[in-house]
Amino acid sequence: MSAVIEIEGLRKTFNSVRNGRRVAVDGFDLTVGAGEVHGFLGPNGSGKTTTLRALLGLVRADGGWMNVLGAPSPTHLSQVAGRVGAIVESPQFFGNFTGYRTLRLLALAGGVPVSRVDEVLAQVGLQDRGDERVKGYSLGMKQRLAVASALLKNPELLILDEPANGLDPAGIREMRDLMRSLADGGVTVLISSHILAEIQLICDHVTIISRGRRVAAGRVDEVLAGFDQHEFLVRVAEPERAAELLRAGGLPVDVHPDHLVVGQVGDPTTISRLLGEQGLWVRELTALRPDLESVFLELTGEGPQPQVPRQVDPGPHDRVIELDAGVGEGRGDDA
Amino acid sequence: MKLVRAELERLGARRFVQLMIVLLVLAFGATASTTLAGSHRPTAAELVEARTQAAESRRQMDDVYQRCVDRVNGNLPPGAEEEYFPADCGEVDPVRQERLPVATDFLPGVFVFSQQAESLLYFLIAFLVLFGFLVGASYIGADLNSGGVVNLLLWRPRRMTVLGAKLGTLLGGVLGLSLLASVVYLATFWVIGQAAGFPGHLDGAFWRDLGAVHGRGLVLVLLATVLGFALATLGRHTSAALGTAAAYLVVWELGARLVMEIVDATHPERFMLSSHVGAWLSGRVEFWDASACATAAGFCDRVYALTWQPALAVLIGLTGVLAGAAFLVFRRRDLI
Ligand SMILES: Nc1ncnc2c1ncn2[C@@H]1O[C@H](COP(=O)(O)OP(=O)(O)OP(=O)(O)O)[C@@H](O)[C@H]1O
Ligand SMILES: [Mg+2]
Repeated sequence: MSAVIEIEGLRKTFNSVRNGRRVAVDGFDLTVGAGEVHGFLGPNGSGKTTTLRALLGLVRADGGWMNVLGAPSPTHLSQVAGRVGAIVESPQFFGNFTGYRTLRLLALAGGVPVSRVDEVLAQVGLQDRGDERVKGYSLGMKQRLAVASALLKNPELLILDEPANGLDPAGIREMRDLMRSLADGGVTVLISSHILAEIQLICDHVTIISRGRRVAAGRVDEVLAGFDQHEFLVRVAEPERAAELLRAGGLPVDVHPDHLVVGQVGDPTTISRLLGEQGLWVRELTALRPDLESVFLELTGEGPQPQVPRQVDPGPHDRVIELDAGVGEGRGDDA
Repeated sequence: MKLVRAELERLGARRFVQLMIVLLVLAFGATASTTLAGSHRPTAAELVEARTQAAESRRQMDDVYQRCVDRVNGNLPPGAEEEYFPADCGEVDPVRQERLPVATDFLPGVFVFSQQAESLLYFLIAFLVLFGFLVGASYIGADLNSGGVVNLLLWRPRRMTVLGAKLGTLLGGVLGLSLLASVVYLATFWVIGQAAGFPGHLDGAFWRDLGAVHGRGLVLVLLATVLGFALATLGRHTSAALGTAAAYLVVWELGARLVMEIVDATHPERFMLSSHVGAWLSGRVEFWDASACATAAGFCDRVYALTWQPALAVLIGLTGVLAGAAFLVFRRRDLI
């Protein structure tokens, strides 16, 4: 499968008089193959939007190289821009223009037939509100307009930065269905989102970024499998006794008030056998598979930690608050 | 080309542009109707009367000159000594006057096109300069500020092309509108002159002069447009251009002028853009030369002049530098 997006060693530092240097992206790599629906995950401030902006030529990268549809970015971006639809972080529109005019002007500038405008407005459910001023749109409607603008060119590659931002549950489902049908039609989709359940539902590949660096990448099932502890939840009449028996059988066991969590289970029949032999009958035996959320929290060091106020991603170098030694050790990669 | 078409549509759809055009039409309507109301077609008797008065006035000028010369030569009859005459009789020589009284000077309540055309045109140019500056600034300022430029760049990632197309379209639009406005404007007043006033003496020289003023005015309009555009691009916001213009006027044209007068700087006017604008429009402006007079005893009327060539160079240079900076900055800027 050929790569549609390739990013290697991307670096971007923002310098401002007020805030000083802030490293937003620090040697980040990303590869998106043709036809993938690729999830792009990371905590707030981890550098997702900056990466996409650099890729699309909106900010100037300080290092690394990028390729979009085979064209080096940003130098040759204009050769492929017509095939890439993108929205970057809740796009803004000129408030006094109607939704229709906003799209029409883009279509004119990009040489897309203006008849497409009505099609995409219908696709995102704005067909009846197209001739209202964007100023009067709700957040979700603006977001839909943004998605419509990305769809306008009939893109081969769709880059969506938090498209579900502001959408209602029905809107999120519509968006999911839309992504699906686009992917079925062969469109490659790169989608950044914080709604991990959503990503798990629609994406086949995922890249996780933390503090400007890639911390995981690959097929969703493979990434998840890498974090599979082979744990099982066991419910049984006499948990204490069962725990002893299982430990005796060489399995690590965590005892919870109403269930046990057994680790390193190669074959679950071992559990029922060990307990059954002693007349303890297993009431429930469930595999505990990691989901994207737990993997994400583990990788990005954002899991719940007692007594530590949670921070946005502090960035690779400039940590805003030094965590107390000991408590901070559980956190993810530290550059 | 596609880009230019889209930009032209964007420009025309902007409410600010529409508002300014409405204002232009209103101002124009008000001037035209008050002119119309305050003017009538001169009767034959009025014309004859005016001609007589003009001839009389010219004759008086000849007379004064003659008496001045006579006095210098000592031929003046006694009793006329109290009359004031300049030391140099050339100053009252009718032949050396810029213009002599003509019949149309003596037509009260009559709109005379040949006499009013130039000042009417200056008014229009002043409006168009303001229009160009404000529209130039808000067109790009609002677009940068509202994220419209970012959206467009996702479609056409060539920044220089996009900004160039915007500036080009803007200049084309402003020029087109200015031409249209001036033609309609002058034509209306010409018709008023024909129908409800007096056309005056409209020879080739008149139209040539008017055309020259018009051409110079249009150059100024375009320069103001580029200036507004460049300042708003540099400051990423419409108000950056407005603020710079206001600050320039207050701090430099007023404040610095005062300071320069206090410290007796030589020829402070040459540092003021307004002087250069004046020089460009009228070909030449003269200022009283305080430094040359500082050493002179008694009455001093030494002047120095700014001419249009260096004035134009200053105006184009300034606008060019700012526009160049705007493009350069926009090329490298992070668009967030
Ligand atoms: N224009 C800017 N000037 C200075 N720093 C910036 C700028 N834009 C982004 N940053 C910094 O770069 C880092 C990455 O920001 P970015 O917007 O890429 O994060 P993100 O992953 O998109 O976060 P979110 O999930 O909240 O959208 C942050 O620390 C942010 O403060
Ligand atoms: Mg973001």
